[in-house]
Amino acid sequence: MKTATILIVDDEEHIRLLFKEELEDEGYSVDLASNGLEALEKLKRSAYSLVVLDIKMPGMDGIQTLGEIKKLNKDLPVILCSAYGEFKQDFSSWVSDGYVVKSADTRELKEMIKRALGA
Amino acid sequence: MDPVNVLGKVIEISHSNLEVASRIEAILNLMAHEMGLEEALLYTLDKDKRLSCRFMNRTSRLYEILSSYRCHVGEGIVGSVAQKRVPQYFTDRNVPPRFGCLFYADLDEETSIYKSFAFLPLSDDSFVYGVLLLCSSGIGTPLDTEKIVLSIIARELGGILRTYDLLVSSKKRISELATLSELGRVLTSATEPHLLLQNIASITAKSFNAAFTTIKLSHSFVRLDLQRFTSGEIDANLEGVLRELETEALRLKRASSLSDHTPESTLNATRFSLHCTPILSKDRALGTITLCRKGEHQLEEDDQYLVSAVANYISSGLETSFLNTKLRDVLKELGDAQKRVIEHEKLRSLGEMTASIAHEIRNPLVIIGGFTKRLAKQVQLDEKDNRYIDIIIGEVSRLEAILNDVLNYVKDASLLLESCNLNSIIDEILYLLASDKIWERVRVVKTYDPDLPTIVCDIHQIKQVLINIILNAFQAMGAGGTLALKTERRLYQDRPSVAVSIADTGGGIDPSLLDNIFNPFFTTKERGTGLGLAISNKIVMHHNGHIEVRNRTGEGATFIVHLPINNKTTGAREGIT
Repeated sequence: MKTATILIVDDEEHIRLLFKEELEDEGYSVDLASNGLEALEKLKRSAYSLVVLDIKMPGMDGIQTLGEIKKLNKDLPVILCSAYGEFKQDFSSWVSDGYVVKSADTRELKEMIKRALGA
Repeated sequence: MDPVNVLGKVIEISHSNLEVASRIEAILNLMAHEMGLEEALLYTLDKDKRLSCRFMNRTSRLYEILSSYRCHVGEGIVGSVAQKRVPQYFTDRNVPPRFGCLFYADLDEETSIYKSFAFLPLSDDSFVYGVLLLCSSGIGTPLDTEKIVLSIIARELGGILRTYDLLVSSKKRISELATLSELGRVLTSATEPHLLLQNIASITAKSFNAAFTTIKLSHSFVRLDLQRFTSGEIDANLEGVLRELETEALRLKRASSLSDHTPESTLNATRFSLHCTPILSKDRALGTITLCRKGEHQLEEDDQYLVSAVANYISSGLETSFLNTKLRDVLKELGDAQKRVIEHEKLRSLGEMTASIAHEIRNPLVIIGGFTKRLAKQVQLDEKDNRYIDIIIGEVSRLEAILNDVLNYVKDASLLLESCNLNSIIDEILYLLASDKIWERVRVVKTYDPDLPTIVCDIHQIKQVLINIILNAFQAMGAGGTLALKTERRLYQDRPSVAVSIADTGGGIDPSLLDNIFNPFFTTKERGTGLGLAISNKIVMHHNGHIEVRNRTGEGATFIVHLPINNKTTGAREGIT
C-alpha cells in the first residue's frame, strides 16, 4: 500500500517539527508549509492524502486557506488543528473533516487522521 | 344732653387704646348716663352668624335674660333690624304685642317699666356687625337730633366691631398660614410616609385644638404596614362612630360631620364633634383625616376648608412619598444593573485578555510537552530521570487542563436547552462520583421533592455546575461529614423556580473570603484554577438563575442553585433557538 502523504500547515516551526516527527513515526510521509499561500502552492504542485491546518496564521488564516483548499479539491480531507478550543463546535461539523485542539498529547490528532483516511 | 359733648367723648373712647370690650362698655355706659337710659345693650354676630347679647351698661337688668338666648338674622325685632339695617323706635304704646316673649321667656314683665325702646343696626355698606338696643323709662320717641347722634354712635360702635372682626380674622389667617407652612415644611422634609402622616396628624391636632386627629388609610390604594396615624387619644366609646363616619366619607368622597349635642341653639351643649374629610388623589380616596373636638361647636366653614387643604397636602405628600419610594427602588435596580454590567465588562475584558494569553501559551506548551514525550519514548533513561520526565509531562498536561478551564470560562458557549429533571441529574452525578472509594467517608442525605417540575436548561452545563459545587463540598469535608442534597419548588424573585441545595459540614467559608468566591481565579485550594465557581455562576446566570450561598461559619456551607422553571429569556445570547 502506498503511504499517505500529509501536509502540515502551521506558522510555528517547532509545532511543524513535532507533528512531522510524530506522524512519520506513524508511518506517514509528511510535507510542511508555514502559511496558507505556501500550502496552496504545494497542493497545486503535488498530491496529498490529507492536510493538517492551523487556524491562526499571519497573512491568509486557516479558515480562508480551508476554503481555498476545498475549492481546489473538495474531497481532500482537512483537519483543523488549533490552540483555539472555542471554535471546535463551530467548525467540526462544517467544512473541515475534523477539529483538534492542539495538545502535547498527539493521540487525538493521530486518531482523527486515521479515521479521515478511512484506515 | 349736649350732643357735641357726647359725640366728642364717644369718639375719644372709640379711638383710645382700651380693649375692644372696654371701649364698647365705656360707650354704652356713657350713653346710658348722658341720655338717661336704663338699658344700653349690644348684640354681636357669633361665629355661626347668630346674634347674641354680649355687652351691657352697668345698670342693665335685661342683660342676664337676653344673653342666654341667641337669634338668627331676621328673627324677632333684633333679627329684623339686623336684616333690614333700619333703626326701629317704639314707645310702650306702639311696642309690638308680647314684645320679645316669643324668644325671651319672662321678658315682658321686665320690660314693662320701660316706656321707649330703640333698636339700631351696627352696619356699614356691606356688612352688619350687630344691633344696639336702648331702653328708657322716659316717655316719648327721640328727637331727630337725638336720632342723628344715635346713628353716629351706632356707626362708631360698628367701626369698633369691624376692626375687632378684622383683627380676629387676620389672627386666624396667620395661624392658618402657620399651620400650612408647618405642613409644607413637613412635606418637604419627611420622605418616609409613616413619619409624614404622624407629623401631619399632630400638627393638625395642635392647630385645631383637637382632642384627637386621626388619619386612616384605605387598604386598597396604600400599601403601608400601618393604616392609622393618630395624634391624641381616641375615646373607646367614639371608636364605633368614628369608623362609621370614616366609611361614609370614604364612600361618598365627601366630608362628613357628626356632633353629639342636645337639639337646638343652647350654648356649650356639644360634648364632642367629629369632622371627617376624605383624602383624595385624582378620583381615588386614599383615606380620611378626622378631627375630634370636645365642648366646642362644630368646625366652622373656613376651618373645614383648612382641613380639606390639609387632606390635599396629605394626598400630595403620599404621592410624593410613594414616588420617592418607587424612585429609590428604580435607582437601586439601576445601580444593580450597572453593577452587573460593570462586572460583565470586567469579566469580558479579563476574559479576552486571558483568552489571548492562553492561546499564546498553548503553542510553546504543546512543543515542550510533545518533544518531552518523544524524548521519553526514544531515549533510555534511568529510573530517576524517567521520574523527572514524567513530572514534566504531568505538569504540561496540568497546564493544558488549566488552559482548558480558562478558555471554558472565557468562551460563551451557547446553551443547548432541553427539559430535564434535576433529581435524576443529581442522582447521575452521585453515581459517577460515589463510585470512587474516597467517597465512603461522606454520608449523603437526599431530600428530593418527588413532584419536582422539569426545567428547561443546558443539561451539560448545569451538570458541570452541580458537579463543581458537590466536589467543593466534598473537598471541604476532608475528614468526612454529611452532604445534604435537597430539591424543592420555590419562588425566586417572584418566578417559579427549582432550588437545589447542597449543604456540607466542612466548617463553612471564612467570612472575609465570602465576597470573592465567585471571582474568576480566586481559589483556596492548593491546586485550583479558581474558575470552578466563577464558571458555575456564569452558567447559572445565563440560565436566569442564581447561586445563593448560606454560610454557617464553623459548621458548613450551603449552596442553593435557583433555576427558573419556564426559561424563556435565555435566548438573549446568540446560538439559542
